[in-house]
Amino acid sequence: MSAGGATALPELARRIAPNALPIVILVIVIVFAVAQPAFLKPDNLIGIVRQVALIGIMATCTTFVIMTGGVDLSVGPVLAIAGLVSYYSLEADLPLALVVLAGLSMGVLVGLANGAVIALLQLPPIIVTLAMLSIVRGSALILGGPEQHLIRNEPAYSFIGAGSLFGLPFPIYLFALVALVMILVQRLTPLGMLVAAIGDNETAARLSGHRTRATKTLVYAISGFGAAFAGIIQSSQVHTALATYGPFGTELDVIAAVVVGGTSILGGNGSVARTLVGVFFLGVVNNGMNILNIPIDIQLIAKGGIIVTALAIAARRA
Amino acid sequence: MPDPQPLVRGIGLTKVYGNLVALKDADFTVMPGEVRALIGSNGAGKSTLVKILTGAIAPTLGTVEIAGKAAPLGDPSEMIRRRVSCIYQHSNLAPAMSVLDNIFLGRQPTGKFGFVDRGRQRREALALLERHGIDLDLDATVSNLPTVKQKEVEIMKALALDAQVILMDEPTGWLAASEVTKLHATVRMLKARGVGIVYISHMLDEVFAVCDTMTIMRDGKVIAESAVADIDRPRVVHLMVGEKLARESERAAHQKRHPRGTGEIRLRARNLTKRGVFQGVSFDLYAGEILCLTGLIGSKRTELVRTLFGADRFDSGTLEVEGQPVTFGTPARAISHGIGFVPEDRHRDGLMLDMTMTENLAMAMLDRFRRGLILGRNRMVEAGRRAISSLSIQPPDGTRPVKLLSGGNQQKVLVGKWLNRSPRILILDEPTVGIDVGAKAEIYGILRRERELGAAVLVVSSDLDEVMTVADRIGVMVSGRLAALHDADAVRMDEIVREIGEAAA
Repeated sequence: MSAGGATALPELARRIAPNALPIVILVIVIVFAVAQPAFLKPDNLIGIVRQVALIGIMATCTTFVIMTGGVDLSVGPVLAIAGLVSYYSLEADLPLALVVLAGLSMGVLVGLANGAVIALLQLPPIIVTLAMLSIVRGSALILGGPEQHLIRNEPAYSFIGAGSLFGLPFPIYLFALVALVMILVQRLTPLGMLVAAIGDNETAARLSGHRTRATKTLVYAISGFGAAFAGIIQSSQVHTALATYGPFGTELDVIAAVVVGGTSILGGNGSVARTLVGVFFLGVVNNGMNILNIPIDIQLIAKGGIIVTALAIAARRA
Repeated sequence: MPDPQPLVRGIGLTKVYGNLVALKDADFTVMPGEVRALIGSNGAGKSTLVKILTGAIAPTLGTVEIAGKAAPLGDPSEMIRRRVSCIYQHSNLAPAMSVLDNIFLGRQPTGKFGFVDRGRQRREALALLERHGIDLDLDATVSNLPTVKQKEVEIMKALALDAQVILMDEPTGWLAASEVTKLHATVRMLKARGVGIVYISHMLDEVFAVCDTMTIMRDGKVIAESAVADIDRPRVVHLMVGEKLARESERAAHQKRHPRGTGEIRLRARNLTKRGVFQGVSFDLYAGEILCLTGLIGSKRTELVRTLFGADRFDSGTLEVEGQPVTFGTPARAISHGIGFVPEDRHRDGLMLDMTMTENLAMAMLDRFRRGLILGRNRMVEAGRRAISSLSIQPPDGTRPVKLLSGGNQQKVLVGKWLNRSPRILILDEPTVGIDVGAKAEIYGILRRERELGAAVLVVSSDLDEVMTVADRIGVMVSGRLAALHDADAVRMDEIVREIGEAAA
């Protein structure tokens, strides 16, 4: 009898664990809503999604990197340099499609370089992308200098980040599109399975006939693409390109969203959908604390505590 | 020695997981100076019993007495304090650290200011080595030691904890024959000093060579206990696997051999050389035969077959597959020529342990399940289901992560993932290491079936019983050379043993 009672609670925890994070989000939303009813206003909810769109795009695009057991620290400067490349393309009067393409290509190139070095030279991703963070930031400063570059009289380009469609900010659609594509790639294509396989056991994946090096290179290119896309949206949103956008800490926010969502930082186990949950979790926490006028210092401390707590809960599902 | 008090005594141990009874009412004792074999098929309950004795899990029912006193259960540190240690099949050493550091890992004696007292460490270690007559270089880096020495380091680690009972899980799984003898000498010496040893092994030869008593388990129960002197091998196998499998493996042992199979050469190696590794290896592998490469560990068989699969490169020589000269830069190229490869270390090189059975079975087949960009999950699941049933993988649940399967079933997954491709050439490196008699028989069945289907099968094996059982032809590798190639019918085991040992002596 006592044995039955003792096992009931862990049993309950075990069942809840896989859905722990969505439940926690719900609880937090209720707490915020009770404390400050304005939290639930449509404007605020839309605001949350708009605020998380940039981090969300980067996080969904870097989830594969983390699933392979790697990490991409270079997303911040890539965001900045993509904005600058787009700015100069606009200055050169290139058509919008080419402007966007140029910005995105910059990110993809940086990602390819990251991936090629990591995959071919078998160097640790954390060091390679840390070096790349430095290289790209330096390059962005050479390209853009210290000053802000205003993007004026470019209505088409400005629509990307500042426009709205059917009453919703346009970046939300872009975020939804990227997230959807990434989820589908993961669920439906061989790449999605291969990424998990490499994170689980790279040797075994290679011995099963997979081109593990090409795949690893590709996932960093995707991550670079995401960062560049975020950079384009941001420069469009604030009508400015600046070499120091995507400051130190951007990469940590991105990684936090992926890992809080439940993708293993060691690789293997993970999913894009979970990353989305992580993104919204952090977004809701940030927004709620802002709306409650919690001072920024306390916010930072609380955020750290909440991240560790979320990870501890998620760890129980293993 | 009139000491009737057992070192360890488990009474009525039962472990229930959900509705699965992993261990049922098991009694188990180890006396001082006793080497007790614990044997049984995978899933017989051995590991559950071992986990209870090491404190890794608590039994649902039952008690464990250590030196006559009931021990707290489910707490590893309590068991270590009560002088019960376990040496696991897979090494628990820190490979980059020295022998000395490993022996005291995590509990270094400290001096003033909390610094590690290296002098005292060394004195204690030397005393221990002396007392037990073990010869080890304390400053050697563990990863540079031969496997048998690494096992001795683990034993030392246990002894440094003052272990009175040492559980050894498949201690010889990765050892060469000569190393096994050395390890057994160590076991006998520990025994002479009154240490109780539980020897968990699938290798019956070893059980008969080194153990005093045996506990045989099947289906979660202890089904027999006996002094080794009072029982013979066929009886043991019979008790372990039960009626049906015993008959099957008996029948399998008397199958007809097919040297050179259908006569069609699938793979032709000429003067294959990888400098400093293997030299001038030439042989033909025929469709419809099983060619076993045997030899000592370190005779470079693994290295040779890895180059055949494109996992490594060779420096010179030629390789032809079905008459066509090939050089494989990657495994992917070899696979496209119809080659499949089962690596030796299934955990390190073979399986995605956290992924499901279905996914692992599909791992070499993703191209076949793909339509355009889309991976056909339904077809993948369907193919997985067929493989699971035709290989009788237990439990037949494709959604189960592979890490939860027993070794034998993991191995079936690893072999099975190639079978849907109908491989023209199937290469297996030590396909039955660490799996039980029943699962071995099933793996042999799979190999024979592939042979009948016309595949050319190349097996690397150090287990001579296995070689004599499945081979149509036998190649002997000695120090990177293919020293001999025989029709299996025309050669006796003792001749092979002599050839294997020739250069090593």
